[in-house]
Amino acid sequence: MELSDWQLVEKSQAGDADAFQELVSRYHQKVFMVILGLMRNREDALEVAQETFFRAFRKIKSFQGGSSFYTWIYRIAVNNSIDAQRKQKRNPLDFHESMDGLFEARNEVAKDPFADVQDRELRENMSKAINELTPEHKAVIVLRTIEGMSYKDIGEILGCSEGTVMSRLHYARKKLQDKLSAFL
Amino acid sequence: MSPCETIQESLGPWLDGELRGADGEAVRSHVASCADCAAARGRLEKLQLTLGTVLSTEAPQLKFAPFWREVERRIEAKRPWHEQLIEWCQSTLSAPRLAWAVPAAIMLVLGLLSFAKWPVGGQADNYASVESIDAHGRNVALLRDDKTKTTIIWLYQNPEGENENVEEAAKSGPAF
Ligand SMILES: [Zn+2]
Repeated sequence: MELSDWQLVEKSQAGDADAFQELVSRYHQKVFMVILGLMRNREDALEVAQETFFRAFRKIKSFQGGSSFYTWIYRIAVNNSIDAQRKQKRNPLDFHESMDGLFEARNEVAKDPFADVQDRELRENMSKAINELTPEHKAVIVLRTIEGMSYKDIGEILGCSEGTVMSRLHYARKKLQDKLSAFL
Repeated sequence: MSPCETIQESLGPWLDGELRGADGEAVRSHVASCADCAAARGRLEKLQLTLGTVLSTEAPQLKFAPFWREVERRIEAKRPWHEQLIEWCQSTLSAPRLAWAVPAAIMLVLGLLSFAKWPVGGQADNYASVESIDAHGRNVALLRDDKTKTTIIWLYQNPEGENENVEEAAKSGPAF
């Protein structure tokens, strides 16, 4: 039977490294996606994702279950990303070939959703528009879009009220719509 | 604000499933009968769909083994002494402990001073007291020295380990 997150947390707190490894395997991809959405650079996002789980390991004993493990780990991830963005030097979405070994090969058979020219232009403009959002606006957009999180969970992660989440989402979407008005 | 503007402000929360009951119904019935708001809904849905596709296609699938190896390397790495010292200080000298240690130290000093002033056998009506109240998540330690009519009020927050950095993150930017 598969153990719940909370059971794995308790085992990790008791020093069971395999339990912690299982938690990492459950969340590493989603945490990486959220961080990439915020950092906009794969190399930086990978580094911050690994640091996030390292810090989570160091703090796991202080995790008391007041929130779910997933909001807790995203909170660490978002805070690390915001800190790292202040020091970030690389350009958004730069890709280094030395990182090939860390990612699964792309499925070439899968259809590129942005295959035709106009869609590709939309993707490029959307990517640029996301880059230009403030870290706070990026965070609500990414958590809502990738994870489909409720405003309550997003508020818990960002340390703000549901009303603030609603307001930030409204303004972030408005900014994106303004920049992409030619396509949408 | 016109009814359409009000409805269009609520389209996002409505599509996100955050508007229930009468509020959700008001948006639904207006959108069903208003071409402008129906178009705004379409634009917002397209934006959300494009966002989802862009964010998910940008992220490659990570290989778990090398990812975990790096996390494990960090866990096992011997950290420099200054990092260990900082961590020890953070865990040992946590705010709640410090909050008690400081008034206790002040009380000790006051006690020693009163002994210095009145040697053994002197007046005994000089004392200090510590109280604690916990209201709205804020703790208060109250320290009184009746002889000198001095009162020290020590306010402190009791942050849980799991909420670390949240306040800092919340402070880092405006609400929107
Ligand atoms: Zn309308």
